Amino acid sequence: MIKFKNVNKWFGSLHVLNDINLQVSAGEVVVVCGPSGSGKSTLIRCINRLERIQKGELFVDGMPLHDSTINLTKLRAEIGFVFQQFHLYPHLSVLENVTLAPIHVRKMKKKEAEALAMEKLERVGLADKATAHPEQLSGGQQQRVAIARGLAMSPKILLFDEPTSALDPEMIGEVLAVMVKLAQEGMTMCVVTHEMGFARQVAHRVIFMDEGKIIETGKPDQFFDNPQSDRAAMFISKILKH
Amino acid sequence: MQIFPFFLKGLWMTVLISGASLILGTLLGFLLGMLRSRKNRLVNPLIGFFVDVMRGTPFIVQVFIVFFIFPEFGIQLEAFTAAVLAMTIMGSAFICEIVTAGILAVPKGQWEASSSSGLNILQQLRFVILPQAMKTILPPLVGQYVLLIKDSSVVSAIGVVELTRVGWLTVVRIPEGLMVFSLVGALYFAISYPLIRISNSLERKLTVNRVSL
Ligand SMILES: Nc1ncnc2c1ncn2[C@@H]1O[C@H](COP(=O)(O)OP(=O)(O)OP(=O)(O)O)[C@@H](O)[C@H]1O
Ligand SMILES: [Mg+2]
Repeated sequence: MIKFKNVNKWFGSLHVLNDINLQVSAGEVVVVCGPSGSGKSTLIRCINRLERIQKGELFVDGMPLHDSTINLTKLRAEIGFVFQQFHLYPHLSVLENVTLAPIHVRKMKKKEAEALAMEKLERVGLADKATAHPEQLSGGQQQRVAIARGLAMSPKILLFDEPTSALDPEMIGEVLAVMVKLAQEGMTMCVVTHEMGFARQVAHRVIFMDEGKIIETGKPDQFFDNPQSDRAAMFISKILKH
Repeated sequence: MQIFPFFLKGLWMTVLISGASLILGTLLGFLLGMLRSRKNRLVNPLIGFFVDVMRGTPFIVQVFIVFFIFPEFGIQLEAFTAAVLAMTIMGSAFICEIVTAGILAVPKGQWEASSSSGLNILQQLRFVILPQAMKTILPPLVGQYVLLIKDSSVVSAIGVVELTRVGWLTVVRIPEGLMVFSLVGALYFAISYPLIRISNSLERKLTVNRVSL
């Protein structure tokens, strides 16, 4: 589904992605973790080409992202992205947030798109908020709407960039619960997060990054209980303290 | 000659020229502003240079160029057309800057979220970016309209019989100069004042909104 082959990327002289090799198959849930600035966001933002790679090859759903002639909007329609800061459309209602892309990208009829959106809102437990505006919702609710907005495009892949980091602690659980359900239903997911509980519960693989490199890959329990590298061990002991 | 109908004709001409160039200038200005906000390395400096030239030269000189110099290149325009054209071009430059600033004030995450869900650039602008940018754009845009309407008095210099020209033509015939130009001023004010009020109240409403977000 996703295949990084010797991928490199620089921001100016900063080498943010250093020879990344990674393969994610359909239905797999991969958690990416690592210290701040290690390139986690950049890595998953390359998957829907919010960032461009400069060297190497990257295939997503069969499309070569290193090729600049591909149809970007078509690629992105198949990949959902959930941001740390939600980025709901503040001028639209919850329902309109979710129906916007189905109507204009999938060319659905408004009624059809609304039925679909209600179904997705139901799934994240927010059907009763359909007519509300984003600023009337709590952070956790906004993030769940953002997930519903992604789901409404029936994506083949869902990407999450620290989806719970901007939330108050008491709201983290409700968002993770939705993500766990998606993972168990077989969604292909790449999740940048430090939520160890989530990783242990549903991740097939944990990827540890530092300074633009993938340092370690492993099953969650093996990675957290018995890390192979010192850097990973140090990182895990730090997140355990929180 | 009846003074009052003459003034009404001048007022009508001012409204016509301003109205036509406001509409055309707004369309052109939004187009340029949207292009400029893309920050394309080729297009952006070109538009930037155009805007700087328009802002850095007196409007009356621009009007003269359109009316007296364009014909030398085979573009012969009537005074009315030349006036509308000059005002449209000048207005579009200022409106371009307002629109660009408005678009750039929309958080980057809105572009990322909308492009991530597969919207193309035009759909992003239309459904996500511009509706939010309008909050920033509207107050200065309406303020710009007021400036443009007042600047339309400049086209009297190429013989368009609008409000200011009517004042000139009248004052050489009757002795009450103060009365004549007070009337001219009052009529300009009558058009501008509602717009000033609109601009002020938009500013108030939209800033209050933003604080409450
Ligand atoms: N647009 C950009 N221009 C220049 N440098 C950037 C840009 N985006 C990120 N960087 C830098 O690239 C490095 C990797 O950034 P990235 O956001 O991928 O890290 P991260 O692992 O997601 O960190 P965090 O946990 O803080 O989110 C950082 O040093 C960051 O400062
Ligand atoms: Mg990050």
